[in-house]
Amino acid sequence: MPDIIQFNQVTVIAGQNKTLLSDITFTLQTGAKLALCGKSGAGKSTVLKTLLGLHPLASGSVHFNGRPLNASTIAAIRSQAAYIGQEPVLAADTVHEALLLPFQFKARRSHKPTKAQIDAVLARLYLPQAILGQACGQISGGEKQRIALARGLLLGNTLFLLDEVTSALDPESKQAVLKVFADPSLTVLSVTHDADWLAQCSRVLEFEAGRIIMDTRKDSHHDHT
Amino acid sequence: MTTLDIAWPQMAVLYGLCLLPWLLLGLAGLRLNKTIAISIVRMSVQLGLVGVYLKTLFNLNDPWLNGLWILLMLVVADVSILQRAGLKIRYFMLCTFTAIAFSTVFATGYLVVLVIRPASYFDAHYIVPLAGMMLGNSLQSNVIALERFYASLRKNDSEYLTFLLLGATHWEAVRPYFRMAITAAISPTLAGMATMGLVSLPGMMTGQILGGSEPWLAVKYQIAIMICLFASTTLACIINLKLSLKIAFNSYDVLKEEVMKTP
Repeated sequence: MPDIIQFNQVTVIAGQNKTLLSDITFTLQTGAKLALCGKSGAGKSTVLKTLLGLHPLASGSVHFNGRPLNASTIAAIRSQAAYIGQEPVLAADTVHEALLLPFQFKARRSHKPTKAQIDAVLARLYLPQAILGQACGQISGGEKQRIALARGLLLGNTLFLLDEVTSALDPESKQAVLKVFADPSLTVLSVTHDADWLAQCSRVLEFEAGRIIMDTRKDSHHDHT
Repeated sequence: MTTLDIAWPQMAVLYGLCLLPWLLLGLAGLRLNKTIAISIVRMSVQLGLVGVYLKTLFNLNDPWLNGLWILLMLVVADVSILQRAGLKIRYFMLCTFTAIAFSTVFATGYLVVLVIRPASYFDAHYIVPLAGMMLGNSLQSNVIALERFYASLRKNDSEYLTFLLLGATHWEAVRPYFRMAITAAISPTLAGMATMGLVSLPGMMTGQILGGSEPWLAVKYQIAIMICLFASTTLACIINLKLSLKIAFNSYDVLKEEVMKTP
């Protein structure tokens, strides 16, 4: 499978010389499930945000589909990847409006989903249809995470950047989400501590103080520090 | 009718009126003596200086000098807007200057050349006070526009980034904050127009009537001024915000914190 994401000796420094990432190198193949784990502040979320252009590189390089990170690559990543954080921002009054929000933008206006497509995605994530009329401010954290995931699926994204998306889910909802991401056509780069999620990933990178301290591949069982 | 002069003893009587609110504020326990004194002295000195420079400009009535004076007012307004909006002057000086200079020159020029049509378009009696009024109104509105826009973007940065990550262009992502900032900036001018003459008589119109003008003439001038203030304020705010976008964001559409005065 071709590499969709390549981090090559990436270092990210914020503010007054605070190193967020140091010499990070890894690749992510199309369809692979890669997990980033480690303590809070270890640099896991920074990897996702760097890929989205939210942190400039101090050194090293990042490639997306073989192209180096620049304004046009960042635009491509943002249009092809779905980023879902721990507390997703739905940025709408009702759930229905939240699901249709991206389709108000020029680039996606002609791809508005049908009601049947919306209902099918909700069903995949164990969300009732009645939730569509609810106010975003009144639904639970777990429901917000699944609505954000549903939005990504409706957009037809095949790359998912997930930051602790199972943290607020009940066991049943978590199983539904795990089932969705078992799909081999979806590429997933996720920050997680969840054992069930880790079990589904093909590779796990463990972070500490902005560095990768362990790289575990499920296929070869190859570890190094 | 000619305007009656206020003699110096009567000016002293006028300042005596300040004693009443000063006494009442003191009795209410408000320790505002210093603030009141500074405000009254500043107002008197500033208006005294305005009197001196206006008299000089009117006497000389040199188009270049008038232009130079307007340029000076633009620079002072530029710095003042950015200081009060919480943005670093060195980054935004040029875009704010462009916005207020274009809108002030355009609206003043429109009013003088197409509406008032004096013998000389560069007559200091017209362009200096009119440009000053346009600029004064633009100043407040531009402070509101810039401050509201960048404060709301920083406050809602997760929402803004969500828009970007959902495929919005930069303009689509900032548009909600842009609309809110422009609405807030022009609302005082619109409210002023809507209540004009009902709540109070406008200062310029009152001044003209006291100066001996016919009420209808004063009314026509006031309408002309209000329409031009509305046009210049709206133009200045829109141009200023649009130009500032090029400076305040990096090539990945992320807001540059270093352009803000406060972290």
